[in-house]
Amino acid sequence: MSILSARSWSPYAAGILIGLLQIPAFLLINTALGASSSFVTVVASLTAVFDPAILGIPYFKSHVATAKDWWQVALVAGVALGAFLSVKMAGTARPAMSEMWGRVMGIRSFPVRLLVAFAGGFVLLLGARIANGCTSGHGLSGLAQLAVSSMIAMAAMFASGIALSAVFKRV
Amino acid sequence: MSVFSAVIIGLAMGVLFGLALEKARVMEPGFIIGQFQFRNFTMIKVMLSAIATGLVVLAALNALGIVSLSVKAAMVGNMVVGGLLLGVGIVLAGACPGTALAQIGAGYRDAWAILAGGLAGAFTYGYFQKPIDTALDWSSAGLGNWGKVTLVDLLPGGFPTLALIFAALIVAGLVALERWRPWREEMERNDPVADAGGKARTGRSAYAAPAE
Repeated sequence: MSILSARSWSPYAAGILIGLLQIPAFLLINTALGASSSFVTVVASLTAVFDPAILGIPYFKSHVATAKDWWQVALVAGVALGAFLSVKMAGTARPAMSEMWGRVMGIRSFPVRLLVAFAGGFVLLLGARIANGCTSGHGLSGLAQLAVSSMIAMAAMFASGIALSAVFKRV
Repeated sequence: MSVFSAVIIGLAMGVLFGLALEKARVMEPGFIIGQFQFRNFTMIKVMLSAIATGLVVLAALNALGIVSLSVKAAMVGNMVVGGLLLGVGIVLAGACPGTALAQIGAGYRDAWAILAGGLAGAFTYGYFQKPIDTALDWSSAGLGNWGKVTLVDLLPGGFPTLALIFAALIVAGLVALERWRPWREEMERNDPVADAGGKARTGRSAYAAPAE
């Protein structure tokens, strides 16, 4: 299909499609789009294999309890699958790391990039869980519900992101 | 709903989500950092389009009485500090939690480290939730938990009305943004994925040879 094999879409078409996903999220799952709580579900389930007592911690227990938790895990797995199918059909598969890291942060070594990516991922999810939402849960869903919580979180996210990225060379 | 049907629905929705993130290049680390550097407005275009669509959809469903909203409580300290960390993480990772998975699907192998770091970060918050939340409870300064407050609580008019007004404002803003920064030009200039011939259009090689 030409839509799927197209190299790129307009950001507006992509945004409208993402916004429409709120319909099945609300009607079928009774929740809003989100991504970051799935990390809790996965890590709680993985660590519980080695130490079942981890599920005695209320926060972890509450994230492995319902179908909604596994819906979000499936959603983010589907995101990877969708991107995989997209690049396969369009022939736009990416290399091991973006060349942009060399230009912007001077990172040309893959192992160094892995360390920064791990640190970035750690701060990312620590922040998302502290704020109880990420760019999806707050940025897309919270703002689409005019939530004050999401306005504060997104203002803080853009503020620190803009400030930190100003330290680095231009993309 | 059974876990099985929830998973099937989630996968189907996720595939569409991932397609959109990849096709618009909004999962590109260079596009995300480019947004924070005001060099590339793709991220804000996608987000605002999705928000405006969500506003219209939820206005309709809410007006019909089909859905109730699912709003997060405004614990001010958590929102401020969590949001600040989120921004720092996005710049270092070159991704947010959802787009990290899209990067994995698109072939970026460094995104697996974002995923691993993210799992560790999620674990750390869950394990230390009580002391973290206690430290971020700024009730004494009036910045504690404001509850599930939305603009509907602060402005006249119900949710459907306000949602449609904000959707219209966003669309107007996007029209202006598109005139100032047409998306095709931004895509031409910034798209790192070389054409079939193996060369980026701008002459500047946007990517080194795949490191595999």
